[in-house]
This record gives sequence, structure tokens and C-alpha cells, in this order.
Amino acid sequence: MLIELKDVIKRYGEGSLAVTALADIQLLIDHGEFVVVLGPSGSGKTTLLNVVGALDSASDGAVRVNSVDITAASRRELFGFRAHTVSFIFQSFNLFPGLTAAENVQFGVDASGSDADPADVLDSVGLGGKGDRFPHELSGGEQQRVAIARALATRNPILLCDEPTGELDFRTGVQILELLQEQARSGRAVLVVTHNREISRMADRVVELSSGRIVSDGPPRGGRAAVTDLNW
Amino acid sequence: MRTIRLLLRWSWRDLRAHWTKVAAIAVVIAIGTGGYAGLTSTTEWRKISYDASYGQLAMYDLRVDLAPGSFVDQGVLTALADGDAVAVAEERLIVPTQVDASTEGETVLVRGAITGADFSANGPHVNSYHAMTGRLLTEDDAGAPALMIERNFARFYSLADSGFVALGGGRRAEFVGQATTPEYFSVAPEGEMFMSEATFAGLFTTIETAQDLAGLPGKVNNLVVTLAPGADRDEAVAQLEDALTTLPVGATVFTRDDNLSYTALTTDIEQDQAIFNALAALLIGGAVGAAFNLIHRLAEQQRREIGIGMALGVHPRILAVRPLLVSAQIATLGVIFGVGVGMLIGNSMATVFTEFIPLPIWETPFPTAVFVRVAAIGLVVPFLASAIPVWRAVRVRPIEAIKPAHLTGKGPKRRRRHTPRNIFAAMPLRNLRRSPRRTALTILGIAASLTVLTGFLGIMDSVFGAVDRAETEAVGTSPERITVALDTFHPMMSPEVEAVGAAASVETVEAALRLAGSVAGPSGEFELFIEMADLTNGMWSPSVTDGALSVKPGLILAEKAAIDLGVDVGDTVLLHHPVRQGLAAYTFVDTEIEVLGTHPAPLRSVAYMHLDHVAMFNLEGIANALNVLPAAGFTLTEVQEELFALDSVASVQSVTTATQAVRDAFEQTLAIIQVMVVAILFLALLIAFNTAAINLEARARDHATMFAFGVKVRTALRMAAVESFTIGTMATVLGLIGGLAMVWWMTQRLLAETLPDFALPVVLKPTTVIIVAVMGVLAVSLAPLLTVRRMRRMDLPGTLRLME
Repeated sequence: MLIELKDVIKRYGEGSLAVTALADIQLLIDHGEFVVVLGPSGSGKTTLLNVVGALDSASDGAVRVNSVDITAASRRELFGFRAHTVSFIFQSFNLFPGLTAAENVQFGVDASGSDADPADVLDSVGLGGKGDRFPHELSGGEQQRVAIARALATRNPILLCDEPTGELDFRTGVQILELLQEQARSGRAVLVVTHNREISRMADRVVELSSGRIVSDGPPRGGRAAVTDLNW
Repeated sequence: MRTIRLLLRWSWRDLRAHWTKVAAIAVVIAIGTGGYAGLTSTTEWRKISYDASYGQLAMYDLRVDLAPGSFVDQGVLTALADGDAVAVAEERLIVPTQVDASTEGETVLVRGAITGADFSANGPHVNSYHAMTGRLLTEDDAGAPALMIERNFARFYSLADSGFVALGGGRRAEFVGQATTPEYFSVAPEGEMFMSEATFAGLFTTIETAQDLAGLPGKVNNLVVTLAPGADRDEAVAQLEDALTTLPVGATVFTRDDNLSYTALTTDIEQDQAIFNALAALLIGGAVGAAFNLIHRLAEQQRREIGIGMALGVHPRILAVRPLLVSAQIATLGVIFGVGVGMLIGNSMATVFTEFIPLPIWETPFPTAVFVRVAAIGLVVPFLASAIPVWRAVRVRPIEAIKPAHLTGKGPKRRRRHTPRNIFAAMPLRNLRRSPRRTALTILGIAASLTVLTGFLGIMDSVFGAVDRAETEAVGTSPERITVALDTFHPMMSPEVEAVGAAASVETVEAALRLAGSVAGPSGEFELFIEMADLTNGMWSPSVTDGALSVKPGLILAEKAAIDLGVDVGDTVLLHHPVRQGLAAYTFVDTEIEVLGTHPAPLRSVAYMHLDHVAMFNLEGIANALNVLPAAGFTLTEVQEELFALDSVASVQSVTTATQAVRDAFEQTLAIIQVMVVAILFLALLIAFNTAAINLEARARDHATMFAFGVKVRTALRMAAVESFTIGTMATVLGLIGGLAMVWWMTQRLLAETLPDFALPVVLKPTTVIIVAVMGVLAVSLAPLLTVRRMRRMDLPGTLRLME
């Protein structure tokens, strides 16, 4: 298994102020899976993503990703883990405004030490010819494509996407989802966090959270839909 | 009311969230305002202290000097000063002497003067004394070989509080303390520069002891007078001059304003203050510029929250309150800290002045009036610095203000065609290019403090550069040369001069003449000391930068003298000089004389002339100074000790003693600047730290994204350091250029007016450049290291705002 979470608990605060964000999480995700984590605001889905991506640590339980026990990993090992195992795609893109599109992708290459060609990666997300543009010269959809290209350039096996279509219009959002789905087909594990139930229809698996607990885990209700069938 | 309470609470939380930066900015303002107050207020408290000290020690209003070598019986002078205008009149005996105050480690043989005064009935009552160490003499010491040694001289040579000195004629006396008196607050013997403590020893004793030491029992030659309250000074002078005509010897009446020590100190206040004012203006300018930049950037960080407020329909005036409240807090803290810094700087300066000017009373009140004026600047700047970004934020559409900085439509316009090989190396420069205005403001903020630092250090470099030049010139090709001052004019073939040549420790003796006069040219006129020696074949000659040394009649002027007179080599100047009439009388005449060349020594009042032309002074075959080379194997000390035994020798000194005295004089003034340099170094460090801290906040999101991609903290730190290094390097270059311009203005404009006798070059020593570079480049580059803890503890999910 690429991602294994066993009895994971995440609490914030202490004593009477303690809040349980994740409780008793059991989750297994393998290569090539396109998993949507669905839930309302405050359900713990972003916390789950942060724990898997080692941006945050579990209060209890075991988290094993790509054979690395990140609950026991040192700070130095966690940096290495993030560089070589997971890649983030953020809702607000988080591109470096001083770098061009190609250079933002180059950043992914340099951060992970991969051998990807930024121009090729940009081509693969449909941005060939726009590599010399700065983020503020691109549309929201184009910026998110650059963010995806940056993540892909790392060649890391896991893509962690937090509301990747949250700032995009429907049409652009669909294009982004198609891109992500392609990545799953190529063998990467893609974990998409969203509150948009419509998006979950195209997933291989839908993990639904409520109050920090997994309330369901399985294929989309009503069967898997094509991206073109989505509507929101 | 509730809104105001909310805003107050909110701004208080802002303050707590940014307390290190707020405090640091407040200290920057405090150094500027407090430093300004401290520097610009020295005149006030120096005047207060001088007046109080001159008052306490009752400096004379009038002084009567008998002609040199003339004495009258004790009581004669006081009898003549018995008019209604006179409140107190006391006689004194002042006699020149040689003084040997050598210590175990150092030979100290100088000229000096014994001043004998009336210590009876708790006197003297005019020009009394204050013991800085040891004890004051009393009437019980009358006739005993006990005296007090002048404080400035004792400090210069680090003499003990008490001990023994040998005097000319083989006499010996005990000094029981180090004392001061108004005529010696600054040592200014007749015909010499003020601050001459290196070459002149004042000895104070009872009139009976002075008479005994001088071999002049019952004789006096000096009278000091305190006028009655309301007395007309000019009238009193006229009355006294009239009364003195009955004496069989010549006598001259002087006022307090004729005393070089008194006028030097009082003029000195104005001169020093002009320098301090200029430095203070630069200091406040630098601090204000830096504080403005830091507060501006701090306020800019609230741009997004202002946008949200606008979107919620809050009036811009209300939105402006919160950042302005933070400014108010910074301003208030700045003023509070400023009082502390002002007091600290004032006390430090007072300590320096107390050390170098031995007044019995030093009063250094806090300069409230000055501080209130400058604190107003310290109060306004934070508001102005906040108001500008707030004004800009409320003028755009709310959506523009709400957008996070990385999404705003700002950024580089130029396209890059090639992706750099190493993106981590390219990012720092891209970050700087992306926000040129912010980058420029940051550079200017740091450059402002570095300009001040460069300026302060550069002024010291320039002054000491001039002293170094003077020393190099004095040493020339004859570093062993010793100058011997004779007690008066002697024929070259006289036993007195021959005795010097016959000394076992002396190899070669050359006669010299030193005369005082003045010189006038097309664009100026000033006093001139003419040194006459064998300039072509002698043991020493000045270097000539223009023209040539020649046996022709003419002057070798200082370069500055030629410039100030408006003459070139080959032109003529009008020399006002003494000519001997009869045996020992002199009259002054004007002679047109050619300028043969110029020398590089910085003191414009020193000119040289070949000894062949002494006929124009009617001093053929006469000398009042000698240049001496020691015999092989003899040291300066041995020459001094042997020549000191000769009655005709007034002083025996290394050629660098005079320049050392000038160096010491400047060190006194510049010690104040050194106090400020410490403050400025601290200021520069604060700015560097604040810049790094604000940069970290501005780049927090970028750093969080990097960390999310596994970039190590040290890589991010390295990038921050490169960014800071670039800023620091540019700021350093600007600071050095600005500082150099400031040094030029100070030396070539301001000091040229306040110290017209001294040519100051514009010098930045390598150590200054290194200090500025260390502060500007190294400290600024390394400042991000101070943020390493915050980087390590960064809340990554929170910073990335994954839920945004």
C-alpha cells in the first residue's frame, strides 16, 4: 500500500479546550487510485491531507506513506519525505510570483531532484508556449495548471490536492480534474480534498468525513461518472 | 464608542503580535530623537557649566601683566587698583620655568609657568583653584616647596595625584594635587595654540613659594581684578591703565575676552555645536528614513484586512484607525525610549567633556525643550509612514486590496527567455525585482543609517588623516630630529647655543628662527608662524608639492594657505612681520614677498623661509630654536635629560610631540562622535534585524510552499540571506557614497568655516569601509539567521491557508 493510516487521531489544544479533528482514521490507498475526500467545512478533510503530507503530525496512531513511517520520522526525514514522496496542489495555487511559469515548474524539479523537463511538463498540462509568463499574467485556470505542472515535475508518487478547483469556474475546474485523473491513470495516487459532492462522482473512491470520522469509504454513490458528465 | 474600544483592543493585539518589531522600530526612532536631542543640546549645558565654573572660581574681569622680566614690590599693584569699580584685586607672580615631570615609563620635559597666588584668608579670591585630585593648597603651605599641578597636563601624561617635579635651575617641588583654574580650563600659553597640555605645564603655588622658587622675594608681576557689580569695564580699564602709567615698568591691561583659554573654550562651544548639529541632522534623517520604511512595510501587511473591511462597508476613516493606532504605539514607545537614549547620550557626552575639560561644575540637564521639538518628528513619522499604505489601500477596489500579495496584478514585466540552471539561486533576485518600490525603500532605509555611520567614521578618518599627514611631514626624512626651543633669542655663537652643540648626546645642531606675523593675499588674511631654517642643505626641509625649495627670498606656504590667500607659486603676498629695533625691541612692518612653493602640511598658519633671508627681520646670526640630531647611541630621553640642565633651553621635544598634541585635541572632540558611533552601530543592527523580520513575514507563504515541497530550512535561509546580501550590498554602496558626500560637505564646507586654519582631506580609511561593509553586507545578510527559530516553528498549514 502506498498510504496506510491506522487508528489515527489528531487533536488540537489540551484539556477542556481540546478539539478532536480526526478520530480513529483507518485508510489505505494504493498506486493509481483517484480518491476524493469529501466532507463539509470542519469535517477534518484538510487535516487528513496535512497528516498524509507530513505538514502536520498525528496525535496518535500510525501513518505510513510509501513505506515510510512518518509518525516516527525525524524532522530531517520529513523534509526528505515531502521532497520525494508527496506533492501539493493548493486551492490558491501558491505559485512564486517572482518566477515565470517555467521557473515555477523548475522549482519542483530542483526541490525534488527529478530529471523532468519543465517545458515538457508544461506542454503536458496544455501550457506549451506560456512558460515565460509570470503568474499574474496567467488566468486562474492557467495558474492552477502551472501548480499541477510544478507538482508533476517532482515525479513524486502521491499528489495531494486541496480544493484544486475551488477558485476556478466550472469549465476550467473540469479541465483541471481531467488532468488529475490522467495522473492517477499513469500510476500516481491522487488524493483530492473537496466539499463539492459533484466532483466525487468521478473518483475511484470517495472517503466521506464527518466530525473527524470516516463515515463512508467506497466507490461513488450511483456509480462513477465521466468528467464530462459533471455539473456544478 | 464600542467600535473604538474594539479597534483599541485589536491594535493592542497587533502590538503584541509584532512586539519585537514594534520595540525595535521604537528604538530606531529613539536613537534618532534622543541622539538628536543629546547632540544638539551640548551648547546649552556647556554654557551653563562654563558660566557656573567661571563663576565659582571667580575668573578675573581684568588682568594686568608687567612687561616680560619686570617686577614690582608686592602691594604696589593692588594699591593702584583701588577705584570704586574694583571689588577685589590680588597680586600674583608668574614666572616661566622648565618642568621635568618624568615618570618611570616616560620622560616628560616641557616648558611651564609657576603661578604664585595669595592663599591667605581662604584665597585666592580671584582666579581661585579647584582640586580635581589630591588636595588644595592653603595658607599653611606658604613658603613650603609645595604646589599643585595643572589637571590637563597631568591627565595628558597620566601623572599620579601627587609626586615631585624638578624645575629649571635644579629646584624640586612636591605637587600635592591636580588642580584647575579658569585660565587653564583649556591650556593656552601665550602665543601658542589652545589645548597645549602636551607641551606646557602649569604649576600653581602660594605667592611666597613662587617668590622663593624664582629667587624674587617680595616681588610680583601680575594683577587680577574682579570688578564691582555694575561697574563699566571699559571705564575700569581706562582708570587702571591711567594708574599704571605711574609705574617705572611697562604694563598692559587685559580683559577676560583677551584670554585665549577663555575665548578658545567659548568659541569652541559654537564650533563644536555646528559640527554636532550637522551630525544630529544626519542621525535623525537616517533614523527617520529607516523607521519610515519599516513602519510603512508593517502597515502594508494590513492591506488585505483593510480590503476586507472595505468589502464589509466599513468607512475608510475607521479602517485607517487600526494601523494608525499601531503607529501611535510605536510613536509613544519611541518618545519614551527617546528620553532614555537622550539621557544616555547626554550622560556619555558629559562624561567625555568632564574628562577633557576639567571644570569644577558640570551640569547636564536633560534638554527638554530640544527633545520636545524633535519628539514631534518622532511622533509624526510613524503616522505618516502608516498613512501612506493605508491611503493607497483604501483608494483601490476592495477586491484588489483583499487579494493576497502573490495574486495581485503586480510583478516583473520583462520576460525571461531562459530558465536559470538553479532556481534557488535565481529566486532571491526575482523577489527583489518583483517589488522594486519596496526593494528601493528597504535599500534606502538601510543606506540612510550606513550613510550616517560612514559620515561619522569618515569625519574621524579625515581629521586624523590630516594629523597623520602633519606627522609624516614633520618627520620627513629625519625621523630622529629633535626640536629645542630656547628661552629667548640668542646669538648663534652665544655660549647658550654652543652649550647645546657641546652636549655629549647631541651630534648636530642647526639654528632656526620661529616668528609670528600675518600674511595677506587677494582673497584672505590670517596669522602666520614663519619657521626659518636651512631649507636646502639642512637636516630637514618641508616637502614641496608645487614650486621648489630655493635660497631665493620667499615663502613656502601651506597648500591651504595659498588657496585661502588666492595665490599661486610665483605670486607675491604681503607679509606683516616683526623687525628687530635695537637690542630687544621689535616693530612690525609689511613686506611683499614671493611665494616660492607650497607644502602639504595641513596647518595653514605654518610657513617656511630660508635662513639666508633673516636680514628682513634684522635677526642676522640670531636663533630662538634649534634642530638637533642625537649622537649615535643616544635616545631622545637622554638628549632631553642632558639639555634640560641648560637654563637657556625651554623645551626639548620630538618633532611629533606637537602633532600628538593636536591629535589629542581632536580626540577630545571626536570622543563625542565615538559615543554616537556606538549608537549608530546599534541603529544599523536594529534596521537589519527588522528588515529581516519583515521580509520573513512578507515571504512566509513562499517559505511555507517551499517547505511543503521538501525544501530545507537552511535552503530557505540561504535564499533569504542572498536576498539580504543583495539589499545590503546595494545599501552599503549607497551608504558609502552618501557618507563620502557627507564627509566632503563636513570637511570642505562646514569645518572649513569652523576650523579655517586646518586643511582637512576627505578620507575614508579601509577600516571604515570594512566596518560599514560588515554592518551593511555581513550583518544584513546574516540577519535572517535571527529568524531561523520562527522559520523552524512555522505553522505550515496555517501559513499555506489550505482552506482559503
